[in-house]
Amino acid sequence: MPFISKIERQSDYSHFDSTVPIVIDNGGSYFRIGWAGESEPRVIFRNIVQRPRHKTTGETITVVGDHNPALLRYFDCTRSGPRSAFDNNVVYQFEIMEYILDFGFDRLGADQSQIDHPILITECACNPVHSRCRMAELLFESYGVPSIAFGVDAAFSYKYNEQLGICNRDGLAICSGFMTSHAIPFINGEAVYEACCRTNIGGYHVTDYLKQLLSLKYPHHISKLTWEKVEDLKMEHCYIVPDYASEVRIFQKGDKGVEEKTRCWQLPWTPSPVEEQPSEEEIARKAALKERQGQRLREMAEAKRSSRINELENEIGGLEFLLKQLKQVEENNVLTFLRETGYASKQEIDSALAKAIQSLRKAKGEQIETEEKMDSSMAEKYNLVNVPDDMLTPDQIKEKRKQLFLKSTTEARQRAKQKRAEEELEREREMKMEEEKRLENPERYLEDLRAKYQQLSEKVEQRKRLKTNGNNTNGNQNGSGGVGRGERLNAAQRERMRLLTTAAFDRGKGEDTFGIKDEDWQLYKLMSRDNDDDEDEKPTEDEADLARVTSRLREIDPTFFPKSESGSLMVEAPRFRPLAKEDFQIILGVERFRCPEVLFHPNLIGIDQSGLDEMAGISIRRLPFKDQGLEERITKSILLTGGCCQYPGMAERLEAGIRMSRPCGTPITVVRASDPILDAWRGASVYAAAMQFPHQTFSRMDYYEKGEDWLRQYQFSYTI
Amino acid sequence: METDVLEAEIVLPNHFNFKRVQMYEKYPKGQARGRHWKHLKQIIQAENFQNYPPNEPNYVNIESPPPMHPCKRICDITGFEAPYFDPRTKLRYANAEVFKVIRSLPSDYVQRYLALRNAAVVLK
Repeated sequence: MPFISKIERQSDYSHFDSTVPIVIDNGGSYFRIGWAGESEPRVIFRNIVQRPRHKTTGETITVVGDHNPALLRYFDCTRSGPRSAFDNNVVYQFEIMEYILDFGFDRLGADQSQIDHPILITECACNPVHSRCRMAELLFESYGVPSIAFGVDAAFSYKYNEQLGICNRDGLAICSGFMTSHAIPFINGEAVYEACCRTNIGGYHVTDYLKQLLSLKYPHHISKLTWEKVEDLKMEHCYIVPDYASEVRIFQKGDKGVEEKTRCWQLPWTPSPVEEQPSEEEIARKAALKERQGQRLREMAEAKRSSRINELENEIGGLEFLLKQLKQVEENNVLTFLRETGYASKQEIDSALAKAIQSLRKAKGEQIETEEKMDSSMAEKYNLVNVPDDMLTPDQIKEKRKQLFLKSTTEARQRAKQKRAEEELEREREMKMEEEKRLENPERYLEDLRAKYQQLSEKVEQRKRLKTNGNNTNGNQNGSGGVGRGERLNAAQRERMRLLTTAAFDRGKGEDTFGIKDEDWQLYKLMSRDNDDDEDEKPTEDEADLARVTSRLREIDPTFFPKSESGSLMVEAPRFRPLAKEDFQIILGVERFRCPEVLFHPNLIGIDQSGLDEMAGISIRRLPFKDQGLEERITKSILLTGGCCQYPGMAERLEAGIRMSRPCGTPITVVRASDPILDAWRGASVYAAAMQFPHQTFSRMDYYEKGEDWLRQYQFSYTI
Repeated sequence: METDVLEAEIVLPNHFNFKRVQMYEKYPKGQARGRHWKHLKQIIQAENFQNYPPNEPNYVNIESPPPMHPCKRICDITGFEAPYFDPRTKLRYANAEVFKVIRSLPSDYVQRYLALRNAAVVLK
């Protein structure tokens, strides 16, 4: 059950006489304040302070304790989280402590000029005197408190339960708090701090462990895993097992008990709307639209073409007419006529005509037979080739060279064409043969083809792997960096290593002579060339074969499905799927007992101290004198108190653990406090109301007269 | 300030009648102040516990010693008993499936798992 704060302002402050002490249980997680002699504290709140800024005015405000998070929406809480006055279990930040005391006294209803009541406030066992002094000074100076007494919460809780008859005068209090756990033995009703022991582990560590484990397990839901929520989960679901190993084995084997031991927290989730498949009509409509658009484009292209043909035909007609006219024009008028038309000569008109005709043919989609033309004009084109050099003028020699070059290129082109044609024929013949083979025995053929495909693809894969190995190390991208165990270098890296080692070892005898000879430096050229080798990735023969076989298989084998390009080496990428209910569940299985287990094995979270069960033995061993009867009396009355002992199974586990370390036959009784959380305050309230209480307090005068050293010796006496 | 915030009285007032010295007098606004508190480590150092008799209880000598029994090694991911140890990630693991998981974990997750038991690499 989550703990709820009590922060209503009290109105009856003035009814209390100034001799009535105020009792404060200043715990690591909760602050409780109330009047001596009452059974419940008046005000309870979380012992934290937040100092956010107002979002619009920028004013820094102070908020003490837990409040409705909705009210904090006006404030920017991102820069300062909740802060505590405690380091471990010692108060060290007295500015924060002062805010907390302000809030506590204010809610208790204080309205006079000072806090005119004696104060009983709890502290940790063996509180460093620095912390105790600062606290006393704060209470005396800022609040005008007349007198103060300090006591230990675990002791108050033990004494309170002793009064209730739950435990005896001799016994052991095991108090597991927020940051620390204590074991404090009691002899004749008095706490023996010489024999107490403290392990720095508490509820904070359990919650933190649970929070970390869950946020590592569900990284998508980190925002949901707030401290408060995880604390609630812990209080509701965590339990302590008698034997961790056997319990965890149940989970490992997945026995039928697992289901009922597993808790599931369903986060708010709304199924995403399913996308509807478009209907038949919709598809038809879209296809029709597409068709129409295509039709329009085609029409446009057709219109453009016909207009262009028209234009060209007109031009040709015009040019032909021009030529005809030119024939009729007299010799001496030719120039003036040409000037009018804009052409320089008859040749120009001819060439323009030829060009226009060619364009027209192109537009009409006719083949241009340039090659044949070339053939026909071959003889006159290469007229100089067969004439000996000495019969020609230098200009002609130049011309001849040009012709020779042209001729050879044309011939080469033709040869290549012929070869291509032959290859085509060859391939066709091969295809025919394969087809025959296939028709002869289709199954066998298919099998052969598949085997070939397998073989080739493996070969190609292998080469690829060799080349790229080292970049993806064993398919593991955890980036441990460099070359670790069991990882191979790729070929290029291997070669570079070889070159480097030969450079390092082969020269000279025990003397590094690298660089004396110029060719030593060639090494670097070699190395960089190795790197470049990777980049020219022409398809090798195998790859070409593979491509051919793949396409063939695709043609004839309907069941064939080529392997993906990346190959089987890569980790299969998670396929996209809509998020389901299961993705919004936080499952608590082993965590339910793994987290509280840290109380018994602090080693699990790296704290090298004994757990709760061993602490009892340590504490008994530290007793100043050996007395078997006393030890038995102590183990007969072990009280569990503190917020952290509320897990189910705690007492049983502790009893079993203590039994292991005690002599055989020792009577052991472990009991839980009547209220592990509030008993410390109640005990303190009883002591503060007692007649002897004024003798236990010290005043401002005492403090400043006797000084720090005296305060170090100060100890609250629990035997009245 | 918004009315619902004021009604809930969550904001601590600056002035209290019952205080002799107000917060704003002790820590005036706009004045830079250094760190005015000691951490627990510094407090302990300043206490000079070594100057006091060892049988006198103090904050340091009441601490529990390391455990007598070696701690069971548990799998960092699942919490199962962990017979194996991965030398590369330094994580403990329970079986082959967990091994697959830890080898595919990004390195910051590995470090966070290690940090849970205070075994992460801390760069200073």
